[in-house]
Amino acid sequence: MTRVSICPDFSTLEVAMDAWSEPFWSAGAEGRVLMPRCTACGTFRWPAGPFCPQCRAQPVAWVSPGQARIYSFTILPMPGADKDAPPRWRLPTLVQFDEAPGIRLVSVLIDADVDAVAFGDPVTIEWRPGANAPVPVFRTAA
Amino acid sequence: MPKSSAAIAGIGSTPIWFRGESAPQTMLELIGKAVMAAVADAGITLDDVDGLAFFASGFDTALLIETLALKNVTFSHCVSSMGSGLAGMLDLAAMGVETGRAKNIVCIGGMQQVGRRLGQVLGSFGTTPDNVFQRIAGLNGPGQAMALQARRHMHQFGTRREAFGEVVINSRINASTRERAFRRKPLSMDEYLASPMLADPLCRLDFCLETDGALAFVVQAAERAQDGPQSPVYIAGGAQVGTAEWGRAFFGFQQDADAFVSAGGVPVAKRLYERTGIGPADIDVALVYDHFSPLVVMALEDFGFCKRGEGGPFVESGAIRMGGSIPVNPHGGNLSDAYVVGMTHIYEAVEQMRGTAVNQVAGAKTALITGGPAPTPMTAAILTNQA
Repeated sequence: MTRVSICPDFSTLEVAMDAWSEPFWSAGAEGRVLMPRCTACGTFRWPAGPFCPQCRAQPVAWVSPGQARIYSFTILPMPGADKDAPPRWRLPTLVQFDEAPGIRLVSVLIDADVDAVAFGDPVTIEWRPGANAPVPVFRTAA
Repeated sequence: MPKSSAAIAGIGSTPIWFRGESAPQTMLELIGKAVMAAVADAGITLDDVDGLAFFASGFDTALLIETLALKNVTFSHCVSSMGSGLAGMLDLAAMGVETGRAKNIVCIGGMQQVGRRLGQVLGSFGTTPDNVFQRIAGLNGPGQAMALQARRHMHQFGTRREAFGEVVINSRINASTRERAFRRKPLSMDEYLASPMLADPLCRLDFCLETDGALAFVVQAAERAQDGPQSPVYIAGGAQVGTAEWGRAFFGFQQDADAFVSAGGVPVAKRLYERTGIGPADIDVALVYDHFSPLVVMALEDFGFCKRGEGGPFVESGAIRMGGSIPVNPHGGNLSDAYVVGMTHIYEAVEQMRGTAVNQVAGAKTALITGGPAPTPMTAAILTNQA
């Protein structure tokens, strides 16, 4: 039997954001993935924060990080509603980006064949409804 | 090896209980009892205690001073990290006695999980801008997060689950001879491999114990400790290194490629070996922080017992067993003996150096203690019985 990963329900998840991370979430509301890059030295910064880890400058430009690829993942068996419920799996997954060296993003890989996930596989990023902002999830690229 | 200026003169421990079963004693009561035992072991009294050193393990030091009715504490300082700060506490105490800030500094630490569990506490904070992604991913505990590192290590180096299994089996064999150890039943590799997955590739047996207890260690200037009732165990050196990429410990995921597949110990190992003039070949017994078994494989690489990526074959060769090239956790460690945020590793290192350990490494002269990984700074220390 093929094991397929779940897509969690994020509808009650309150996304906490601050001035430095807010542009990530507003881009998500438009269905786009943008990551912060230092305007002084060009270094990507993640998590979003007030200073560049390379040159400590503050300003950033939010740019497309390019294709996301699987860097690592784990498989979590999910407790069922009752003991007879069929088993389910959640796939926390870490990706890095072809055009944003040095940073990684973690979320869940949804609707994936749990036993076919491979390092380096390209994934697309989709946005799912959260309580106050859309939430990014990964899907294996076709 | 430079001459040591500080030594552990006394050790104390409460009994160890399964998670929650130390109630109705409070955490401060447990720590108080450990301090009293350590003070007695060192041949001093509570009125002689003028210093406290600890790491971020969750108790109120001011209330402890009140609880123990200490009257003249001239040194009370904390290493700002959790399990990773464990060994740094000894470094801190050594600084305190070296500089004359205090004469009898007691290093303290404890664990009590009544009502809620540490892993759940770490995962139960409300969403913040800093943790929102780990919540979305569903990484609610340290073991789940470190599973990403373990899987990457397997991918890059071909590390097998059998290597993690060997870490667990070694801990179980060592614990089997110790009465107070919590997991003493022999374990076969087949049983290990059949253990249910909790965060694949980590199975249930890769997760450490959850127990309650407290331990304490009296640190004095080396010359002073030589006059005490116990053979002094010298602090050959300690090291503490904080680095940005471990600011969120195992929840950060932004380490460079080499550090991602490590236990975060490379910078602190380098500093420790430089400070002490001791290298991995000189270490006789290693007390390696084993909250999750894959991290032992990575820590052995970090501390130079084998090369990066070779930790799997290294442990599978039998190197970490008693009689191997570097016996690891002869007491059974956090995995099979007890989990008190690694405090039991310091206790075991002292017993090994005194020559009184249940599973004594014959003729051992040096013991390594590693912290973490948990929030930075990472720390490590070397103890020795050679003046």
